[in-house]
This record gives sequence, structure tokens and C-alpha cells, in this order.
Amino acid sequence: MFRDRRSRSFLDSAVLSRLAAVPLFARRPMQGAVSGRHPSPHRGSSVEFAEYRKYVPGDDLRRLDWRAYGRSDRFYVKEFEADTNLRCCLVIDTSGSMGFGSGDVTKIEFARRIAGALGYLAIQQGDAVGLSCVADGLVRNVPPRRNPAHLISIFDLLEQARPRGETQLVRVLHELAETIRQRALIVIVSDLFVEPELLRSCFQHFRFRRHDVAIFHLLDPQEIGFNFRRPMRFLDMEGGPAIFADPNDIADRYHRALTGYQAALKQHVLESSVDYHRVLLNDDYERVLTRFLIGRTHGRDSR
Amino acid sequence: MSFLQPWLLLGLPLVALPIIIHLINQRRFQTVRWGAMMFLLTANRMARGYARLRQWLIMAFRMAAIAALVFAISRPMASGWLGLAAGGRPDTTIILLDRSPSMQQTSTSGGDSKLLTGRRQLAETLKAVGSVHWVLIESTTQKPRELDSPDALLTSPATEATSAASDLPALLEAAGNYVKTNKAGRTDIWICSDLRRNDWDPESSRWRALRESFLALRQGVRFHLLAYPEAATGNVSVLVSDVRRQENGTATELVMSLRLVREGGDESRTSVPVHFEIEGARSESTVEMEKNQYDLKDYRIPLESRHERGWGKVTIPADVNTADNEYYFAFERPAPRRAVIVADDSLVARPLQLAAAITPDPALKCSAEVVAIDQLSTVEWEKISLLLWQAPLPEGEAARQVGDFVARGGFAIFLPPKSPGRHEIFGARWSNWIDRSPKEPNGTDLAVANWRGDQDLLAHTQSGAMLPAGQLQIHRSCGMTGEFTPLATLKDDAPLLARCANQQQSGSKHGSAYFLATTPAPSDSSLANNGVVLYVLVQRALAGGAAALGNVRQLAAGENQIRDGAPWQRVAGAENALSTEYPYHRGVYTEGDRLLAVNRPLAEDQAPVLEDGRVAGLFHGLDFVRVDHQAGQLGVLIQEIWRPFLASMIVALLVEAGLCFPRKAQNAGSTA
Repeated sequence: MFRDRRSRSFLDSAVLSRLAAVPLFARRPMQGAVSGRHPSPHRGSSVEFAEYRKYVPGDDLRRLDWRAYGRSDRFYVKEFEADTNLRCCLVIDTSGSMGFGSGDVTKIEFARRIAGALGYLAIQQGDAVGLSCVADGLVRNVPPRRNPAHLISIFDLLEQARPRGETQLVRVLHELAETIRQRALIVIVSDLFVEPELLRSCFQHFRFRRHDVAIFHLLDPQEIGFNFRRPMRFLDMEGGPAIFADPNDIADRYHRALTGYQAALKQHVLESSVDYHRVLLNDDYERVLTRFLIGRTHGRDSR
Repeated sequence: MSFLQPWLLLGLPLVALPIIIHLINQRRFQTVRWGAMMFLLTANRMARGYARLRQWLIMAFRMAAIAALVFAISRPMASGWLGLAAGGRPDTTIILLDRSPSMQQTSTSGGDSKLLTGRRQLAETLKAVGSVHWVLIESTTQKPRELDSPDALLTSPATEATSAASDLPALLEAAGNYVKTNKAGRTDIWICSDLRRNDWDPESSRWRALRESFLALRQGVRFHLLAYPEAATGNVSVLVSDVRRQENGTATELVMSLRLVREGGDESRTSVPVHFEIEGARSESTVEMEKNQYDLKDYRIPLESRHERGWGKVTIPADVNTADNEYYFAFERPAPRRAVIVADDSLVARPLQLAAAITPDPALKCSAEVVAIDQLSTVEWEKISLLLWQAPLPEGEAARQVGDFVARGGFAIFLPPKSPGRHEIFGARWSNWIDRSPKEPNGTDLAVANWRGDQDLLAHTQSGAMLPAGQLQIHRSCGMTGEFTPLATLKDDAPLLARCANQQQSGSKHGSAYFLATTPAPSDSSLANNGVVLYVLVQRALAGGAAALGNVRQLAAGENQIRDGAPWQRVAGAENALSTEYPYHRGVYTEGDRLLAVNRPLAEDQAPVLEDGRVAGLFHGLDFVRVDHQAGQLGVLIQEIWRPFLASMIVALLVEAGLCFPRKAQNAGSTA
């Protein structure tokens, strides 16, 4: 394993060591380049029996099951599951709104922690990890590699990510769905301030490409509660026009809009089999990740 | 609505305080960098109907709370239902008080009369209004008198009930004169009345003049009518329409005619006990009223023969109006009826003498004497009831004597002489004779065309039958000029019988002078042949003159005044009245040798209440507020109403607090 000499603000070795106890599983067969611990859609040479198949000329005679021949007087070939590694693509939203945080931590910082920890865990178990930073376009993109040294460049990229510009998340997600090779694990960390209907098409696109999609939806407690008293002038962090509003006047409708958004989003992630996690910034990210990892062990697909 | 502290209303602009605070608060905004703009944009696009309405309601209730507070500390006052016209306190308050008998009506459940209730309510009201100058004009004297305080309305004898009718136009005229004469400033005129038609006389042309005079006043005059229009349903009144002492041989009796009138549409059979009291001797008779009016004719009560003069009263049980439940009367032995005939034609004198000398009642003594003009000085005028004059109209000393005679109460009938002169008397004189030769075979063009059967000498008989005046044939008539009131006219509208109009110059209300345009001579008319009309006419005039000769009088309250040097002494009734107000209170009084019975005017019985629209029309164009009340109603007319305003303020604040209360925060994370 590699040794990163530099200390990263978003990495906590104690947390990483505790999280390493739980492996990162894919929920559906992955298509890796080398052998690994994740199920593959192809037959291979693992110890796990898959099925019997009729012999056809050309098959390796070593794989004939002579016992079955003895019982049935027919030639059968015994097949086994293949294990492969996974390609984990971390997609981080770096638009302006990710700079918001009413507490000690901003959304971008929280996203760094999650992405950093997941990247570390994936590399540690031999999986390939890539990183895409999304703002008004695909700002930075590093393809998945399983080289431990590759993790350093990902950490550097996370460290250099700055919240800036508008969100073009939908367009970039469609682009990534097309460009990333099939059957990869896509982890999206974003505040998802996009119309749920547009996200739905992205999720369907990922599903069509047989990707396993996990989403960490970052929300600030103040965005949920909207507990303002005085009239406020809200400056758009993504450069849009400012809005003047009296919270007493608008709070009801704000909450109605937020509730409607969340209900629609929940409906879409259920329909698209997205592994969705709503995360408040005052949550402990270790607990968030633990819940994520354990959840994936239960929901592990049987190929 | 009016206010005791109107200057505090200057604080009303404070109502705008919530708006100002709201605007200031809007300026004190904070700026925050915000990520979840999409929810704000969505919220802005959402319908904001209730939220906007809530904001407006909160603002409105805050403003209402301040307004209510300002109004409350300004000490508002209001009347029972209508509220008084807005404005400050008046400089002068004039109270016009209707003291007529109908104001003594109580409610059907008993209690105080309309007059007493009105006085109490006025006293309470005027104390609250806070005027500093109060003037009372009551219905008897119609003279303004200043009051020390509104409480004087409860204690002053000048506000007690009387039996005299009211004259509201005259009261308003007196009020207008007072305002003009004293240059009163802002004036409130309070009228307390029960709106009886006979008191208000709405047909009078005086109302128009009154409206114009009040509209011409520069200072503001407001009228407040405190009305008690409740009808006296079921009230029974009694009056004595005729009373006379009669001797039949050795027996002497009092012959009396009564009328009982019940108000309202109830025509059920009712027994009414009628009590008679004559000089302390009492008797009772019960009458059964089946309709709303009952007439008792010639009810006889025995008298001692030595009882030549006296008084009495008739009473019925008390009902909603006690003022019309007793009626006083006076009687005496009737004086001999004497007539003097001055005629230059014996054919005329004889029928007149017969008509005047033949008594209609054996108990009465009638006589007629024919006197020459030059013997007038020998006539004992003080014993004469009727003068029949068929000669050139008197002049000089004779005219003066005739004038004095009529002024004293005597009746005079002038018939045309053969040669009408140029002299005139009582504003009228003869012109020329007119021959009326018949143009139609049956002579209908000579008949009397019209005559007044409702009153005066040609009135219908007591049984209601018409006099046969239409059967008269007038062959010759003499024209007359001057001021007179025709009582009978011929086909060509020429007057046959007329009453002189300007007898008032003599100062008498009792004596009358008549002009008859023809004579009983057969060549002139059929008055002598068809003698009924002539006989009735002469006998009625004779009776009228004899009544003036007697020493007893039946007077309507307020009709006569106490003359200097002839004070009235109370005999019966009017126990609590001031001696100066005896003529306005029912009772029996003496004035020197005369015995006077005073009662309410006949018009007070069955006087309808004026319609609301009619009353409003009388005050059209004037600042007029009407408040209807009922007798015995305890609620004060005007009262301070700051409490409702304070309660309104509290309610407004509570509602405002409820609207401001933050709604339960929606759990936005519940969908996660």
C-alpha cells in the first residue's frame, strides 16, 4: 500500500481505519479489468459454482464433469462465477452553491471527506477510482485507475476543488453516463439543486448503461429549517439575481417547495434504483459512510 | 356619535404607525449568501393569496387596535340605536317639551309616562352632552325659560303634564326667535313629543316658513326628535258633550250627554263603569262598549231644587292614559233667553219674534222684544242673548253698543233692510237687492245650494239629521261685501248666511255676528212659511248668546288666560298645579262669580300619530336626528361607549396575535 506523506484536511486516518473494516461492495455485477472481489457478468474460474452447460466441441476437456457423464451418459461442462474489480467514479459537485455552510463545515468540505474516504477504501481493496468535478461543465476529470499512486492525484484534485460557477450537473451526468465504460460504480456527491425531473433522466441514463449509482445529497440544516426572522436579501452563490424576501411571508411557500422537491426526488431515486443518502452537514460523515457501506453489503446483488 | 374629548381625535393619524413601522422594518434587511435559490424562486412563483391576505389582515387589525384606543380615550357617546349627529358640544341647548295630555300615556305594562320618561332621558342626555346653556320652551306658555341644569327638567313645575294641547310649530317658532334674538351659537334643539297630529299640525303653512327661517340661520342648528310614537291601544277616554240643569215641575235634574271613545281597532265588548260626582255626591253607571265609540244621551241625575249652580266630574277607571279618564263640568240654572228685534218691516219682525219667543224646552224661558232704533239706549244689553237687526246697519253710538254686545259674547244676526245703506259693521256691509225670478218651472233655481252642516247655526241635529235648508225658496236676496265666512250659499254662489270674519277685533271668542241675505217676509223667502230652518237658526243663536250670559263656562285647557285682577281659585282637580297654570290643568275653578270647568281639548281624543315619512318631511333639509323610544324605557338616550371600543381594541390585538403566531414548522426532513 502507498504512503501519502502529506496530511489532508479531509482525511482522518482513524476514521479510515475504522471504515476499512467494512468492504465496499457493488450492488450489481461490475466489469473490471482484473480479478477482484466483485461479481462479474462473465463466467470465470472462481470457486463459486455457476451452472452446468452441454459440452460443445472445442470446449476445454479439462472442464468436463466426468461424474455427471457417469450418471447421465451425457457430456456437461461445469462453469464457475468470475470475480472482478470495480471501477468507482466519484462525481463531485463544485458549483458555487457547494460553498454554503451555516456551521463549521461547508458542503464542498463535506464532499471532500466522503469522496476521499471512498477513494481510499476502493483503492485499498484493489478497485479502480476516478474523480470528476462538475460545475458549469466537467471541470476536472480523472479516469478510474487502481494504482495506489493514483490516489494521491485524486486527493490533490479534491484539495484543489473550489466551489465556483453555475451547476450544469444534468448535462455533465449525461456526458459521464456515456463516456464511462459500462458497469461502473458512480458515486455522486452534490446538493442536487436541479429540477428532480431532469435528474430522473440522468438516473435512467446511468441505469441503462448498467452503472451502479450512489448519491450523497448534501443539505444544510438552515436550508431545511429556513429560520430567518428579519427581511433578508438572498444573494445567489451561483451568480444569479438576488432575491429580497420577508421570511414571515415566504417561509410557508419555501417549505412547501422544499417538501415537494424532496418528495419528487425520492420518487425518482426509488424508480431508478439509486442508492440515495440525504446528508445534513451537521451529520458525522463517518456514520454516513458506515451506513452507506453496510447498506451495500445487505443489498448486494446475486449477480 | 359625539365625543367628550374630541381633541384627542387628533391622535387618529397614529393609525398609520403600523405602516410606518412596517416600512422601516423593510429597510432593515440582512444580506445572506444563499445556495438553495431554486426553492426561493419556486416559492416566489407560488400563489401567495392567503399569505398576502394574512399580512393585510395583520396590518388592518393593528391599525384598528390603535384607532379603537384613540376613540376610547376620546370618550365617545352614542344614542340607543341611531347615534347622534357627529360634532362637538353645542353652545345652547333648547328643549321643546310637549306637555299635552297624550304625553301622559304609559306603556301597556305600566310604569312611567311618556312625558316623565322623556324628561328623565333628556336630563341624562343633556348632562352627558355637556352643553352649558339650557333653555326650556314648553307647550303651554311657549316662552323660553333658562334652566340652571338639565336636572331642572325633573324638578321644575313647568315640565309637569297639563291638559292643554301643544302647538309644535309655535314652539319651533319660539325657538327660532330665541336663537335669532339671543344670537345663540351652535344650537341643539331637542323635541320631546308623541307626534300627535293635532299637536304637530303638519298641514300648516307655518312649517315651510319655519324650515326656511332655520335654513337661513348662519349658526348651525341641529334637531333631535325624541319621539314616543307608541299608540295608546285600548285606551278609553271620556268627555261630557252636553250638560244642563233642567226643572220638570217640582223635580230638578241634571241632564248629561257623554261620549266614550276607545283607541285602536279592538272592537270587543267591554264594560266600563262610569262614576259621576256632583259636588261630592257620587253615583255610578256601567256602559257596555261594543264599538270604539259609545254615546250616552241625556243621562239624568236628580238634583235638589235649591241646587241652582254647581260642578261635577265624570271618571272612568284608569288605563294607559289617565289624562283622559276624567272630565269636569259646571252647571247652573239656565238664564232666560231674551232677544231684541230691531226691524223696519213688521212682516219681518213678526216671524222673527215668533221664532225667538217660542221656547224649545218648557223649562226655559224665552222672550223677544221688538225695539225701535231710537230706543236702543233703553235696552238692558247685559240680559240680552240675541240681537236680530233688520234695519240699516247701525252707526255711531248704536254701532258701539252692538259691538260691545257681541264682544261680551252676545249673538247678532243682521238681515237686509229695504234700503241697504253704505255703513258697515264687523267688516261687512250690504250691497244691493237681487230679484231671483224663477227660471225653472219647479223653482229649483231658487233653493239653497250648499250649507255647512258640520258646525255653526245650520249644523245637523244631534240625531244627525240635516236641516231642511234645501227646501227654502229665496225670491230676493241682498248682496254683501266684506270679510265673512259663508255658511250657506245660493245657486250662483251668492252667500245666504255668513259669519263675520273680523269679530276678533272685539276681543271676544264667544260672540258672533251673522249676515242673513234675505228676510222672512213672504216676498223675500219662504223662511217664515218653512219655519224650521228659521226657528233652529234663531234658537241656536239664542242659546249661544245665553251661554255667554251665564256664569258657568266649559273651557278647553289653554283656551282662556287669567286676566289681571281676576285670579282663578281652584275648586276641584289640578291639585299640584301652580295657580298661574290653572288654565292649562283640568279642574274646576272660580273667576269672580263665574264657575269654570277646564278640560282637555276635544282634538286630543283620537288624534292619530304622524307617519315617519311625514315627520321627516317636516324637517327636510335640516340637520335632523330622530330617536324613537317607549314610555317607561329605562335605557338612557345617550351614554358613553368607550367600553366597546376598548373591547374592540383587545379583540383586534388578540386576532392580530393569532395571525402573527408562527404556524407549526413543516418537517421538511420527513420525506428523507
